[in-house]
Amino acid sequence: MIKAEHLEKAFTKPGGGLFKREQVKAVQDVSFSAADGSVTGLLGPNGAGKSTTLRMLATLIHPDGGSATIDGLDINTDVLKVRQQLGFMPHNAGIYPRLSARENISYYARLCGLDKAKAQSRVNELADQLEMTEFIERRAMGFSQGQRTKVALARALVHQPQTIMLDEPTNGLDVMATRGLRTIIRELADQGHCIVFSSHIMQEVAALCDRVAIIAHGTIAIEDDLDGIRKRTGHDDLEDAFVQAIGAAPVGTSAAGVSQ
Amino acid sequence: MKALIVMYKEIVDNLRDRQTFFYALLFGPVLLPLIIGGSLVASFKQFAIDFDEVTELAIVNETAAPNLVAFLYSNNVDVITAPDEVEAAVRAGDIMIALEIPDEFGEQLRKANPAPLTLYVNDADKDSTRAARKISALVSGYKNTINSLRMQHRGIDPQVFNSIELTEFDVSEDGSSGQLLASILPFLFIMSMIMGGFYLAIDTTAGERERMSLEPLLALPLDRADVVYGKFGATLCFVLMSSCLTVLSIYALFQFFPTELISGGLRFDGSTLVKAFLLVSPLTVFLSAALITVSAYTRSTKEAQTYLGLMMIVPMAPFFLLQFFSLGASTWSMALPMLSQYQLLEKVVLQDDINQWHALLSVGGTLLAGLLLLRLATKLYRRDRILM
Repeated sequence: MIKAEHLEKAFTKPGGGLFKREQVKAVQDVSFSAADGSVTGLLGPNGAGKSTTLRMLATLIHPDGGSATIDGLDINTDVLKVRQQLGFMPHNAGIYPRLSARENISYYARLCGLDKAKAQSRVNELADQLEMTEFIERRAMGFSQGQRTKVALARALVHQPQTIMLDEPTNGLDVMATRGLRTIIRELADQGHCIVFSSHIMQEVAALCDRVAIIAHGTIAIEDDLDGIRKRTGHDDLEDAFVQAIGAAPVGTSAAGVSQ
Repeated sequence: MKALIVMYKEIVDNLRDRQTFFYALLFGPVLLPLIIGGSLVASFKQFAIDFDEVTELAIVNETAAPNLVAFLYSNNVDVITAPDEVEAAVRAGDIMIALEIPDEFGEQLRKANPAPLTLYVNDADKDSTRAARKISALVSGYKNTINSLRMQHRGIDPQVFNSIELTEFDVSEDGSSGQLLASILPFLFIMSMIMGGFYLAIDTTAGERERMSLEPLLALPLDRADVVYGKFGATLCFVLMSSCLTVLSIYALFQFFPTELISGGLRFDGSTLVKAFLLVSPLTVFLSAALITVSAYTRSTKEAQTYLGLMMIVPMAPFFLLQFFSLGASTWSMALPMLSQYQLLEKVVLQDDINQWHALLSVGGTLLAGLLLLRLATKLYRRDRILM
């Protein structure tokens, strides 16, 4: 369960020199919620603030303003507890090429506090669940993008977190791998996990998500289920609805009405 | 505990990396001492004249000075017959040096006039120069004997012409002639330590950022300080391993060193090296922390390599500083990492006494500086910017 309220984050623009430090507001005002047992899509064009939002929720960077809770734990104060509840797979997450898939995953398991035996049995479980048995003992150098994504996902799931956030996980995956990943995400949601899935592709979100929060220019433009979005934007076609939602955001017309 | 898991993973990971392995276990501890120490040994051997060694000398017209030739022969000079074109033969390197005795040599001696001799030497050839220095020294000795004999023959005490006798008395404790050699030791230690941790530090910090594996790692339920300590520990292991191997290779190398050729009580035996290693060992902490901190500041491996490449100049600074300025060991210099190790190790090699307080100050100052750097690295890891 995630509840984000008025999150804000600004960065210093790189290359500004010592005296001309320009600030860029990556996230201006993001509020949304994601429930257990469902997949919530965070949809937005490139540079809309999706990754920054997820990084704040994952306690990787500190918000400048606003607050958020994960399963009732505050991201500003209960940092380690939040991380224990949360499995986060960042955008293009790298794995260690000189370690085998098993070593990559069990390293994370050990860091999450599992002992050696438990870590190994958890790796075996994940290898079955994510269909990785074929390459689990191989070193990650030369893995396909699909195999790398599976290892990264297994790492994020290794401590059995209740809440799972995936930042553009289907990037670079072929059709079959994307389908496979979708099935896995659906299964996890059905098991009762809260899943946040970010993407810039409308069709992908439509195929998987129960609820969608569309983010543009650092604010949530609209948040609803798919039917709700169609109704409120007045477009039957989801792509048109998306275009309208992100276009309307800076003016603030629809944003005022849809934010919770 | 979690720091240990990070450390273990980084060690295993980097032992599988050939580049790290090469620099940590081969380049720093073996190749570097071999290149620097080896060339030093060679140059010392070349510079020093060994009067016990047999030198070949080509003499033109040897029958003109049988006594001189006999004197040279008794001083380990083998006389060979000179070729026709002496000058060209020396230039071409066919013979090292040649001595030409003119026909009037004997007559001039008998008349008590200066008797001329010509020595052909090729200054571009170090062996030729060295042989020429030996022959000049021998001939000069021969000359002194004749001079004394001439004066005694005329009833003059040869001491009359010896109006002043200047004695040089070296009061410096260490006899600075060995200083260059003594400062090679800390230089080799420090360089091999840096080389030992160089690639591992880059790979575990800047490399991790570049591979984008840092973000998921920091999202795990562990304190960022544990991540820094783990990476520091792994670097420290490699640096320690590298410096231990350096002790062994320096020990092996200096078995070949002609120590009797150097003035002062220079020693490179086992106990000296152990003492030197103990004094220099706090630097492993300092340098590991410095490597981690610098590479934590950088965004990519390339940037880290540039910065750390510049950092390599730092250990050379005290080396040159001590060559050009005579910096005495003082309380303030003993608190400085690297400078204090240079000064202390010089004393160890030259068998001077080491002030206990100086040693303690050096260890304390170096460890403290290391811990401060480690704190700085942790601070860098806590910033948002580490993920940008």
